[in-house]
Amino acid sequence: MAEYVKLIDVSKCTGCRGCQLACKQWNAQPAKQTENHGTYQNPPDLQANTWTLIRFQEIEEKDGKLKWLFRKDGCMHCTDAACVKVCPSGALYVTDIGTVGLNRDLCIGCKECISACPFDIPRYDRKTDKVYKCDLCLSRIKADLIPACAKACPTGAITFGEKGKMIEKAYARAKELGGDASVYGDKFVGGTHVMYVLDEKPGVYEHLPKSPSVPLSVILWKDIMKPLSLLAAGGVIAGSFLHYIIHGPKLPDEETGQEQKGGE
Amino acid sequence: MTNHWIDIRNSDVILIMGSNPASNHPIAFKWITAAMEKGAKVICVDPRFTQSAAKSHIYAPLRSGTDIAFLGGMIKYILDNKLYFEEYVRNYTNATFLVNPDLKLPGDNNGVFSGLTDGKYDKSTWSYQTEGDGRIKKDPTMQDPNCVFQLLKKHYSRYTPEVVNQVTGTPVDKLIEIYKLYGSTGTKDRSAVELYAMGWTQHTVGTQNIRTMCMIQLLLGNMGVPGGGVAAMRGESNVQGSTDHGLLFHIWPGYLGTPKASLATLAAYLEKETPSTKEPNSLNWWKNKPKYVASFLRAMYGTNVTLDEAYNLLPKIDDGANYSWLNLFDQMYKGKFTGFFAWGMNPACSGAHSNKVRQAMTRLDWLVNVNLFDNETGSFWRGPGMDPKKIKTEVFLLPCAASIEKEGSIINSGRWNQWRYKAINPPGVALPDGDITSEIYFKVKGLYEKEGGPNADAITKLSWNYGPKTFDGHFHFDPHAVAKEINGVFLEDKTVENPTKPGEFKEFKKGDPVPTFAWLQDDGSTSSGCWVYCGSYTDKNMSARREGKKDPTGIGLYPEWAWAWPVNRRILYNGASVDPEGNPWSAKKAAIKWSGDKWVGDVPDGAGNPGSGRPPFIMKPDGVASIFGPGLADGPFPEHYEPLECPVEKNVLSPQKNNPTIKRFDKPGVGSDLDVYSGVDSCDPKYPFICATYRISEHWQTGVLTRWCPWLAEMQPEMWCEMSKELAKERGISNGDKVIVSSPRGQVECVAIVTPRFKPFNIDGNILHEVGIPWHFGWITTKDRSYNPGDKKAEVFTRGDAANLLVPTIGDANTTIPESKAFMVNVVKK
Amino acid sequence: MRKGLIQATDSFERIVHWSLAVSCLILCLSGLGMMFHSLNFLGEPFGGLKSLKYIHNITALFFILALFFTVSMWWKEAGVFVFPEDLDWIKCAGGYLWHVDKVPEVGKYNPGQKMFFLVVAAGGVAMIFSGLIMLFPLHIPAMIVRLMYLIHAAGFVAIFAFFFIHLYLGTVGSPGSLPAMLTGWVSRPWLKKQHAKWLKEMEEHGTLVVYGEEKSSSHGHHG
Repeated sequence: MAEYVKLIDVSKCTGCRGCQLACKQWNAQPAKQTENHGTYQNPPDLQANTWTLIRFQEIEEKDGKLKWLFRKDGCMHCTDAACVKVCPSGALYVTDIGTVGLNRDLCIGCKECISACPFDIPRYDRKTDKVYKCDLCLSRIKADLIPACAKACPTGAITFGEKGKMIEKAYARAKELGGDASVYGDKFVGGTHVMYVLDEKPGVYEHLPKSPSVPLSVILWKDIMKPLSLLAAGGVIAGSFLHYIIHGPKLPDEETGQEQKGGE
Repeated sequence: MTNHWIDIRNSDVILIMGSNPASNHPIAFKWITAAMEKGAKVICVDPRFTQSAAKSHIYAPLRSGTDIAFLGGMIKYILDNKLYFEEYVRNYTNATFLVNPDLKLPGDNNGVFSGLTDGKYDKSTWSYQTEGDGRIKKDPTMQDPNCVFQLLKKHYSRYTPEVVNQVTGTPVDKLIEIYKLYGSTGTKDRSAVELYAMGWTQHTVGTQNIRTMCMIQLLLGNMGVPGGGVAAMRGESNVQGSTDHGLLFHIWPGYLGTPKASLATLAAYLEKETPSTKEPNSLNWWKNKPKYVASFLRAMYGTNVTLDEAYNLLPKIDDGANYSWLNLFDQMYKGKFTGFFAWGMNPACSGAHSNKVRQAMTRLDWLVNVNLFDNETGSFWRGPGMDPKKIKTEVFLLPCAASIEKEGSIINSGRWNQWRYKAINPPGVALPDGDITSEIYFKVKGLYEKEGGPNADAITKLSWNYGPKTFDGHFHFDPHAVAKEINGVFLEDKTVENPTKPGEFKEFKKGDPVPTFAWLQDDGSTSSGCWVYCGSYTDKNMSARREGKKDPTGIGLYPEWAWAWPVNRRILYNGASVDPEGNPWSAKKAAIKWSGDKWVGDVPDGAGNPGSGRPPFIMKPDGVASIFGPGLADGPFPEHYEPLECPVEKNVLSPQKNNPTIKRFDKPGVGSDLDVYSGVDSCDPKYPFICATYRISEHWQTGVLTRWCPWLAEMQPEMWCEMSKELAKERGISNGDKVIVSSPRGQVECVAIVTPRFKPFNIDGNILHEVGIPWHFGWITTKDRSYNPGDKKAEVFTRGDAANLLVPTIGDANTTIPESKAFMVNVVKK
Repeated sequence: MRKGLIQATDSFERIVHWSLAVSCLILCLSGLGMMFHSLNFLGEPFGGLKSLKYIHNITALFFILALFFTVSMWWKEAGVFVFPEDLDWIKCAGGYLWHVDKVPEVGKYNPGQKMFFLVVAAGGVAMIFSGLIMLFPLHIPAMIVRLMYLIHAAGFVAIFAFFFIHLYLGTVGSPGSLPAMLTGWVSRPWLKKQHAKWLKEMEEHGTLVVYGEEKSSSHGHHG
């Protein structure tokens, strides 16, 4: 199957949060008691029951110009997905449309993906001892529907389509916007399947890494330590065998001989 | 809306002022975005930097309640810089009319127009000079010092950018930038739309706010053209429909004036209400009013009574009486009512000065609450500060069906009537409103028939053919029957001359639907429940049309999708989108075009044959749009007045501080002990901050539906108060702190949202703070209230009570809508 | 039990040792099951990978306990190098790798064993520390948690490799060693070959326990 991409054009997002609710509705995620903490952003962060979230951010520029940024946060569906790399059980997997699926039956709640994710996306639920995140509405896509958030978006800020076309669309839009506008997502972690058109520089947005990558430690661990552990174990076993046949076991000397040899 | 939602995409400039569509009309932003993609510029003017401001090209702050000063300055800029569309102004507005030389403008008359006595205007000087035959005198050069154009110029000459800045607090450079941009649409090819909502209406000068904009749109030639218009964005999905169908006390369905008691007969009423004109070319459409009145009376009583009898049976308004919301609850508070139906309403939260509203309900014998859920109104007797033992009111809750649980139509802001089918059955014993109404009607009718009573025929003679009694003895209301009655039918066999093709006749049988309102009759041979909807349900249910997705004009009219009143016209006043010779002002944006023998495009509005000289604003007696508007209670030109409660000592523009025609409730004989204001004559240091209420995406109205929805409550769980960093610092408040916002009428606990999106205003050298609060909260879904066994609890609790606890009982001079967008409060840390 | 065997370990030591060994083995195996998708099947007998996680986490508790006793018990004997003999021993690798005419005599633990002990002790602590953070990562910066995974993996590489060395030397690589941890009794020749100095010390201090003899006997003789 072709690869698909969800494109989030933040310049068109009005922060209405229809996507946030549609996500909960389609995925049957319950609401939890919240409080107002002095912001519209609620729940305050992604949660096991909140897989996408509009982040509200106020910026006062030096010239007094005010900006209010709305960014829909959620799984970026990396091609080189660190979470898939570290997932011990195969619960996280790359789907045939290039997104990162989550088979929750397999999840063992080890939380390794949580620390591996360069975007800080997966969330752990203590009650079910499992991890949750957006699966880009794989069930909808398989039924020829677009993701719930894209369906709900009134302004066309969230669109969904074939990867090449969406990348093209993203660049066209960024060019149209001009200024600091840029495309975010195709240049790192092998290309994400959720991309942004940002109207500010990427570094401006809270909780959005400027140049995300699969963490070095994850590469060291999964690509070096894993084989190394086998190599080391194998090496030791082989070495022991060689030692036995070449050097032989270390036998105690005959009582008397040893005494003579070892005498003072 | 004069135009419709999709049409916003045709605009070159969009002014968002008095609304926040990004949050409150989120779908509307689809079309604003579409316009922006085509290069449109968006301006947002608001006291607070809103979501809409975040998406706009230009944002300008403005102190609540100073919109007329802002827009008056724009009028001056447009006139001074000759940005107006002269040909349009000369031909399609009353700018050329000569006004009575005795008219005095506020600049020469201490801030008021001539004719003011005891808070009411005698409008005799607000008249036109006439020729001997009664025609209005005109000066096509618009140079006569008494012509409307020159008076306009004179009136707004006082609204210099510097004065406007002193009043509004908007920086002068922002004013000029916006005036210039908006004024750039005074050309043939460019058009601009204004999007407003309650931010403009809920002021003591609410009507004049909107009129000022209408005048600007007329000056720029933006009325009737694609991408133009003044867009009233409705806050409730069917509020357009309820207004069309006579929700307001002063109008019958179809905007026919409710008769006054002094108009004892139908003839007297029609004589008074039907306008006439001496202008030879004017169509004066309202001359047909007798047809619509007769058809309405037939819809009410059928042929059970004569038209005259039907008129007599219908209730009248006492001369001079005002039965608007504030007055109703004032009367209720004074014990003048026995019972009250709160139907799909939650006045305990939605009514200005909610404490008064809640107290008023304690004076009732009974209250019927028809709603989906119990709410602060139905349970008012156990709300905060109430002692149930001392309240006599008996409350009935009638559970009703939600919109998706019944069939029917809704009318959106763009006047599209859209049929909707039932998706699921209502739960439990809940019934559609129509069923409940029918049930009550037949019970009441039975009682009147049995026991009699005053004016019993008014009930017993009603025509009520909305569906049969079902096997269980209940009445099921058939929405199609109602829709057909609204459309209207012939009540007898009749041959009628085609109103658009003289000499051609058509035969109708009794029961045939009336094709359009042009065919309605004044002799009682037709009925129509609401004449503007005539044509909506003819041989087919036009509003149920969904198959036609054609857009032949390319400007997004989609004429085969649903049905728009009137006569499926998508852009009102589109007769003004062509020049007097019939050529569209803009070839790119042509609403209508003359094909040689007929108009094509949208259903033409008021356009006579090209060159016929017929002025296009046919709903006005003289056929032109009113830049000079003597119809309003508070002046023919809008003048800036300060809100009743305001933070400034003086009106910079004149010695008259407040709108002189508003009715205060704190005067002897009007209002009550509860009606108190702060800072009316002089600023009250106890309540130093301006406050405005507003809506948010996540909740709807008073939250009766949405506060029970866990997903929505999760996103916005708590009443808040937005304030500037500067104010917070002054009051020692940190972001997220609990604060008490209070007015002389009540107090509300809020969470402080300290934000740079509110900035203090520099008003004539004084630093003034404004705060904002959402109005969707109420105590019934809170956790800390007392619950009786069996009470439903919200899955996700909200916190906080109604913003309207703070709002003053003061209304607009024309509509009496409460001034909830500019009143004074205090904010302290809890 | 043959008469004349010498007691090398007491039962407490052996219990601690085997607790550590078994828990370590289970941790290694269950860890492997979670480390390689191809080894996920190791969880099958217990009802799936999730059970393996619980086994790993619960076994870790035993491991922590065992390691605590191991360290407190052997710290002085195995945790401190004695010079110069340990250095000499290291120089000739204890005679394990090439022929050495005379291997320096060592006490109860030779430097190789000491190194093993230190690796186990330090590695174990590192595994426990990193493992705990991996188990409760939610309020710790991801950078640190990621590092913990790396440490856990590095610790595993070391412990797993050392485990096999230990296994080899404790069995076929050094015949006669195994009884020291099974029954606790070793032969005098083995002890003399492996830990001559310790034998002498015990003889000198009179702490030598010989099977079938009074404990107080200062000079045990092979019977």
